[in-house]
Amino acid sequence: MENGASSEGKDPSTFLGEIIGAPVTVKLNSGVVYKGELQSVDGYMNIALEKSQEYVSGQLTRSYGDAFIRGNNVLYIAAV
Amino acid sequence: MEVGEYLNMASQLLPLELIDKCVGSRIWIIMKNDKEFSGTLLGFDDYVNMVLEDVTEFDYTGAQVKLPKILLNGNNVCMLIPGGEGPAGSS
Amino acid sequence: MADSDDAGTSSVSEPLDLVRLSLDEVVFVKLRGDRELKGRLHAYDSHCNLVLGDVEETIYVVEEDENEQETVRTIKKQEEMLFVRGDSVVLISPQA
Repeated sequence: MENGASSEGKDPSTFLGEIIGAPVTVKLNSGVVYKGELQSVDGYMNIALEKSQEYVSGQLTRSYGDAFIRGNNVLYIAAV
Repeated sequence: MEVGEYLNMASQLLPLELIDKCVGSRIWIIMKNDKEFSGTLLGFDDYVNMVLEDVTEFDYTGAQVKLPKILLNGNNVCMLIPGGEGPAGSS
Repeated sequence: MADSDDAGTSSVSEPLDLVRLSLDEVVFVKLRGDRELKGRLHAYDSHCNLVLGDVEETIYVVEEDENEQETVRTIKKQEEMLFVRGDSVVLISPQA
């Protein structure tokens, strides 16, 4: 995700650099939410989460030690 | 005026330059799939992935979710409205 | 770019490393369309195309009975070996 725009400060890759290792919420286009610690992200928005929990319509459905999320499903990554 | 001249005028402000002008101000984002977001635009990239602050997420039921800071995937963005405060502010 | 993800935990510096570290291990895979797989990861590529062995597939089907009550029915299947096209992958998790 090279930043071609002339925007100052907070382009997406700087933001991602800041939140690596922090707890995040990842929402998918399907509405499913994952909460966990952000291990890494790549240019496709593929995500590796640690100690994550899966919520389907607000209800905790599963827990994962590690989880890889394919980027095309991602709606947003939120710092919490 | 010739069609070509209109195109010329249009090219004087590229779409991404318009978005660049919104950096630091409130923006309303309408997604392809009935979802909407409003927030302060902190930055974006060539794919229109956006970093937003003090975000409200509106889903089709009208439910609102507040998010302090997000990276929004540009893939499903449909429309950007500068200065917009979301569906509540417009109607 | 000042990335500080070297020297991190177990050499996961990009998301696909997590998948690489799961090779020959049992993984849980969530697919689009309410399908899940559990099997041994034999191969993968950058599209998340996967080859899984000794797989259990679980499919969740929402059914509506005559009273318009929605019930979720699960269908389980076993496969010796299967290929998953990457675009249907949502999540991959190594099974502890």
